This record gives sequence, structure tokens and C-alpha cells, in this order.
Amino acid sequence: MLKLDRRSFLATTAGLSFLTVLPRIAFADGHADTLRVAIAGETGDLDLLQNVSTLSSYSAVFDALIHYGPGGALEPGLATAWTIAEDGLSISFDLREGVSFTDGTPFDATAAEWNLKRWMGVADFSWIGIADAFDSIVIDAPNKITVKLKRPVPAALLELIIVRPVRFLSPKAAAGQPIGTGPWIVESYSSTETVLVRNDAYWGDKPAFGRMELKVVPDELARANALRAGELDVIGGDWVAALSPRRAQALAGEGMTIVAEPGTATTILGFSPQSPMMQDKAVRDAIFLGIDRAAVATVLFEGFADPTVDIFPATVPTAGSRTPVPARDVAAAQAALTAGGWAGDAAGWTKDGTALEIAFLVSEESFPGSRRIAEMIQGMLMEVGVKTNIETVDNATMHDRRPKFDYDLTFFGTYGAPYDPHGSLGASFVTASDTGPDGKIYVHPDLDALVATALETGGDAREGAMQAVYDWLRTNTAACPLVVTQRLWAVHPRVAGFTLPATDYDLPFKGITLG
Amino acid sequence: MQRMFMRRVVLALLLMLAATALTFWLVTAAPGNVAALIAERAAGAGADGEMIAKIADDLGLNDPLPVRYARWLGDALTGDFGVSLRTGKPMAEEFAERIPMTLALLTGGGVLALVLSLAMGIAGAASNGGIVDRLLHGMALIGASTPNFFVAAMLVIVFSVWLGMVPTFGVSGLTSWLLPWITIALFPASVLARVVRVNLQDTMSRPFATTGFAKGLTRRAVLLREALPNIAIPYMTTFGAQFTLMIIGAIVVERVFGLNGVGAFFIEAIRFRDFIGMQATLTLFVVFFVSINLLVDLLAMLADPRLRRPKKA
Repeated sequence: MLKLDRRSFLATTAGLSFLTVLPRIAFADGHADTLRVAIAGETGDLDLLQNVSTLSSYSAVFDALIHYGPGGALEPGLATAWTIAEDGLSISFDLREGVSFTDGTPFDATAAEWNLKRWMGVADFSWIGIADAFDSIVIDAPNKITVKLKRPVPAALLELIIVRPVRFLSPKAAAGQPIGTGPWIVESYSSTETVLVRNDAYWGDKPAFGRMELKVVPDELARANALRAGELDVIGGDWVAALSPRRAQALAGEGMTIVAEPGTATTILGFSPQSPMMQDKAVRDAIFLGIDRAAVATVLFEGFADPTVDIFPATVPTAGSRTPVPARDVAAAQAALTAGGWAGDAAGWTKDGTALEIAFLVSEESFPGSRRIAEMIQGMLMEVGVKTNIETVDNATMHDRRPKFDYDLTFFGTYGAPYDPHGSLGASFVTASDTGPDGKIYVHPDLDALVATALETGGDAREGAMQAVYDWLRTNTAACPLVVTQRLWAVHPRVAGFTLPATDYDLPFKGITLG
Repeated sequence: MQRMFMRRVVLALLLMLAATALTFWLVTAAPGNVAALIAERAAGAGADGEMIAKIADDLGLNDPLPVRYARWLGDALTGDFGVSLRTGKPMAEEFAERIPMTLALLTGGGVLALVLSLAMGIAGAASNGGIVDRLLHGMALIGASTPNFFVAAMLVIVFSVWLGMVPTFGVSGLTSWLLPWITIALFPASVLARVVRVNLQDTMSRPFATTGFAKGLTRRAVLLREALPNIAIPYMTTFGAQFTLMIIGAIVVERVFGLNGVGAFFIEAIRFRDFIGMQATLTLFVVFFVSINLLVDLLAMLADPRLRRPKKA
């Protein structure tokens, strides 16, 4: 029989009493004018020419000539108006007057020219169409410039929206000093935190609060707990500090506001164009028909994803006509295999003595959560009789094997706004493009011609040219789009008016007020 | 005596050399194209095959492994551990920024483990089968068998989210260290508490303890004056081993609590296949392991004359 003596009892009681009288930390105290946003990795020095700093932080500090609006609408940024010549060989910009960089340097045609010449015509940035086709810049007036091109670049205006290197830095900024014209000024940055203060001289709508702290919290659970405790105000955003659907569901039940809106990037199951098995359209058709996209969206993404069979979602411009998502049809999948000369049933298929067995390459590091999706798809395809072998590899191996098409099936993602559709089409569906470690979703000589035409076509004909690409991809079952993941954020109750930023590469602050 | 000390030091250096060679081989033998990853980081969508080949050439990735190791060792001996492929900063700079954080975590955790283990072990021995002894035994078992990421999550939920007493992440004053220290100290404290308890029990049955009782000393007096000093050597050696293992705990604890230390850097280095960062960090870990163990050996030799005697055939 255990006995608790008087001394132990008193000590325990005293200890518990001490805990209850310890003061609660009011984490929001002293932060009434500060929005605290989680970031998964340090921002870095926001060098516009290096691919090191976190993408999401640039737009707070630097403006672009053109800003990205809903559905890909072009909105005036540092340029108030723009005109593309009829031959497409020059673009004139009226620059916003009365704008200065936060170090006092005026933003004018000279500053714009200095900035544009840092990357236009430079080999390192030839992956940007307008940089590759750059010819010269003419200063027409103190606030007007014309960019002359060697050939038309229909996506030029969209390219001027991307995060880097296109944004504008003060010509007087010393190395490592991020000085722009944007709504925020970098007060300090370290490996644990970046502090931004409001640019009270900003030309546009000024934020309603004076300070923004970007807190580096690499662990997702830690971010969620910090939000619960009131130490953070906002978490989420694929390129800021990703919030998983499961965590979002948990937070929703704890008084946090979950903001989910249709996304701009598609998760695609890619078929290796060099795999003999995947060159058989019947196999591709069977996989396409054998997957229950709605179940993937509901079960694995907790409903925070939208099933799709289109390469691009409607949230990006010229995404093409919408295709209804077919219900999973095991019988149709098996019929497709039979029509393709395969013999068998749910127990397995063979053709010319070869068993239908597919290598499914997965990397959790490259695409968190992909292993679970792969397992679900594996189960679905097993019912069709298609055997898949999931091979889980690290990020480096994925980057090694994907460019070599050393797989049968693997996951890809489109870039999302503001890079699409031209970005993903030009990189992931063209044989000649060198995408290095990213690999390509699908390539074929016929597709090359269509994509080239689509990317070179401007004006009213562009939509039709793009649609021809989408139709070819669908007709040939060249890729297997699965879902469009929603843009997902969790917001503390003290934050009001939360509005999603224009793209996943931007920080949220517009419209927000703090309680 | 001096010769034995020198022999231990030389052995430690040889061990470090062998360990760095082994880790170098393991890090470089892992599959995957590091140059492709670097190219992607450097140029994003602009990374191409030519760039990848140039990076591989610049980094000497095409050279034979022994050549690469010899080159790395030569640089490392001069304090040059290379430039992190992930952050672009020299590793010396990364270490200068991060080692103080990890040292603060380990030191605080070490002190807490020391205090807790002695308190729990002595209290258990004093209780000797009573409720406190059984309670502490149970606590030590739980502490030694609960993974630190779970401990961290529970502590954060209770003390930060529910009670709002301490911050969930980052460093903002002494209170922000409490949960990381408790998390990292729990496992070694639990193991060491059992070491103290069991060794005290053993020592209390030794003749000199019986003599103490015969002289009229109380149980507590015998425990503290006679028995406790006699468990110093096993405690010290176990503490040394547990303290070195805390660096592994730091890898998880730093990430969970958003501490910008060497452990958090190591995780990111692995994720990115930053083999320069991984190799430098592993070397740091090896030096830490071997140095602490060497220090413990030397202290034990100083404390116990029997360990200084040369072994006879």
C-alpha cells in the first residue's frame, strides 16, 4: 500500500499552486501594431540576382512594373500604362511619377534602365523570354522608357511580374542592401527573424499596421502551436510556410480562421516519355481512368484540393476550356488495356509476354505528402490490375533521375501564378528546353511544335493556340492531372480582414487590421 | 601518467581521423546528383545541363574519392571547412553563428540533467522502496522511453498553448530556454537517475557504509557522505556518454523550438544534400564526441588512481 506522507503532500500542493499563479504571457502585448508571420526559412538579403533568398519576401520590399491581379489580370505597378508595338518588337512603359526608393533615390527612367539592364540580355537570365529577346532600352522621357526586342515575346508582360530578377532596386543600394519602392522597408534580418517597417512614403495603399515580423519557424507543428499560443498571427502559403490540410483542419476546430481559396498550381502524375511501358497509350489511359481524383482530394487533402484533369486551373490566364472530371471507371480502364492488346484482369495484365508493372518514383522531400498519394493511387490501380512499385528516394536522387526520365510514373507540379501557363509550358513540355534537375512532364515532337506556336502567338489568337496544346495533351493522355491544391492559410483571431496575397509568392498584409 | 595521457590523446586524434574518413565516404556515396541540386538553387528554372556539369567540375565532384578526402582534410586542418552549398556562407561563419546557440542548449540541458538526476537518484535511494522511490522509478522509466519530439510537443501544448507561460519557439529571454532544456535533459536525466539510484543502493551495502551505520550515522548521512562520493566514477562516465548523445537530441529540439543552432543546420543540410555542410557538421559532432569522452577519461584517471596504473599482462 502506497502512502503519501504529509511532507510530500505539502510539497506537491505547493508546486501545483506555484504553477497556477505564474503569470500567463500575453504574447500579443507590445505587438498591437505588428503582424507576425511565420516563414519556413530565413529571408536572406533579398538579392534580386541570386536564387538564395526566400521568394515570398521580395514583393513586400520591391515593386514590379506590373502587378498580378485576380485571374492573372495585369494591374499597374511602377508602370501606370504600357503599349506593345504592333510588330511586338517594342514595349513602351509610362513610369509612375513621384515615386522614390526608400533611400530617397527617385524612381525614373534612368533608375528603370539601370535595373532592367542588370538582367535583360544577360545569359544567366535567358530562361526569361524578354531577357533572351532583349535588344535595347530607349529613354523616351524622364518617366517613359521603351524596351526593344529582337523578336516578339507574347508573355513579356507576365514575365515582368515574376519575383526576381525583374523587380526594382535602388541604383544607390550597396551590395546586400534590399532597398526598393515597396510598402515595406527591411529594418533588420537574421537567420531567425526579418523585421519590416512600413514605408510611409509608399505610393500605393499603405498597410494598416506599422511593423511586420517574419519569424523563421521551420517546423510545421511548431508554427501551428505558436499560432495557437498567440505568438504568431498568420501561418501558411506554399512558398511562405506551408500549412498541411490535416493541420488546417485541426486549427479550424480550435478557433483559428482557415482561409482556403482555389490554387494556381496543378499536381500532375507524369508519364515518362522514354519508358517503353508508358509509351503505350493504353497504359496511360488505364491509369488516367483508374484514379479517383475526388477521393484523393477529399481523403488526402482533407477537401483542400480540387480534382482536375486540366493542366492548368482556371485561376491562371489562358488556361483553356474546362474538362469535366470523370468519375473513376475501373471497367473503362480495363477496357482500354484490352483494346491496347493487353490480356488479363484485376489479377494482372500481360502483353507479348511482358507483365504490366510500373515503377513509381516518389520523393517526400521534393513533394511532401507524395508517398501517401502514391500509396492511394497504387491501391486504385491494383484494382484495375496494374501493379505499381513505389520507390521512395531523396531529393537529390529525384533531381538526378527525373531529367533522365528514369521512372515510369512520378509527380510534377506546375509553377503556378504568375509563372503560368507560359512558364510551365515552355519548360516542362518542350524537348529542347533544358530544365536541369526539374525534368519535364512530357515531351513529343508534335507537342514541341504546338507549344512553340502557342508561346509565340500573341493577341486574340493566343488563346486558341494554347487550347491546341491542351487538346493535344488530353487527346494523347500525355499527362495525368490529379488535383489543384488550394491556397491555405490559418489566421489568429486578432487578425481581421485577412486577404490572400495575389500569388503564393507574396506575403499577406493588404487589407489586414490588427485587434 | 603523462605517457598514458598522451596515449589517450593520440588515440582520440586517430579516432577523429578515421571517423571523418568514414563520414566523408558515407556522405559522398549517397545517391543523387548534388550538382543538379546546386544548379537548381542557383538558377531556378534557368538551371541546365551545362551549368550542372560546370558545378560538378568546379567542386571537384568528378575526382576520385581519396583525392577529394585528402583535399578536404588539408583544408579542414587549416580551419577551412568550405562554403555551405545551401546558404552560400563559409562553414566557419555558420559555426560561429550557430555553435553558441547549441552550446547554450547543451549546457543548460546538461546542468539540468545533472541536477535532476542527482536529486531523483538520491531521493529514490533515501526513500528506499517508499512511495517517492517508486514514483521516481516510474518517472525515470517514462522519461527514458519517451521520444524527445513527443516530449517537446506535449510541453509546448501544456506550458505554452494551455498555460501560456513560456514561448513556443525562438530565444526571447531565459524563460524561452526552459522547454528546450527540459526536453533535451529528460532522457539523460532519467538514465542518470537510475545510475545514481542503483549505484547508491549497491554502495550502501558495501562494508564502509555498514561501518558508517555502526558509528551511529543516519541513513541520509551515510548516503551523502560515504556512498555518494563512491559513485562519482560510474556517474561521471555515464554522464559523459549521455552528454555527448544530447547533440543528437539537439537536432530535433532545435528544429522544434526554432533555435538556430548546429542541429537545425544539420537537418537542413541533409534535406538539401549540402554535403559540404553535412561533412563539416559531422566533423564537429565527431570532435565533440571524442573530446568529451577524452575529457571524461582523463578526469576519471585523475579521480581514481586505479585507472592510472599501467595494465599488467
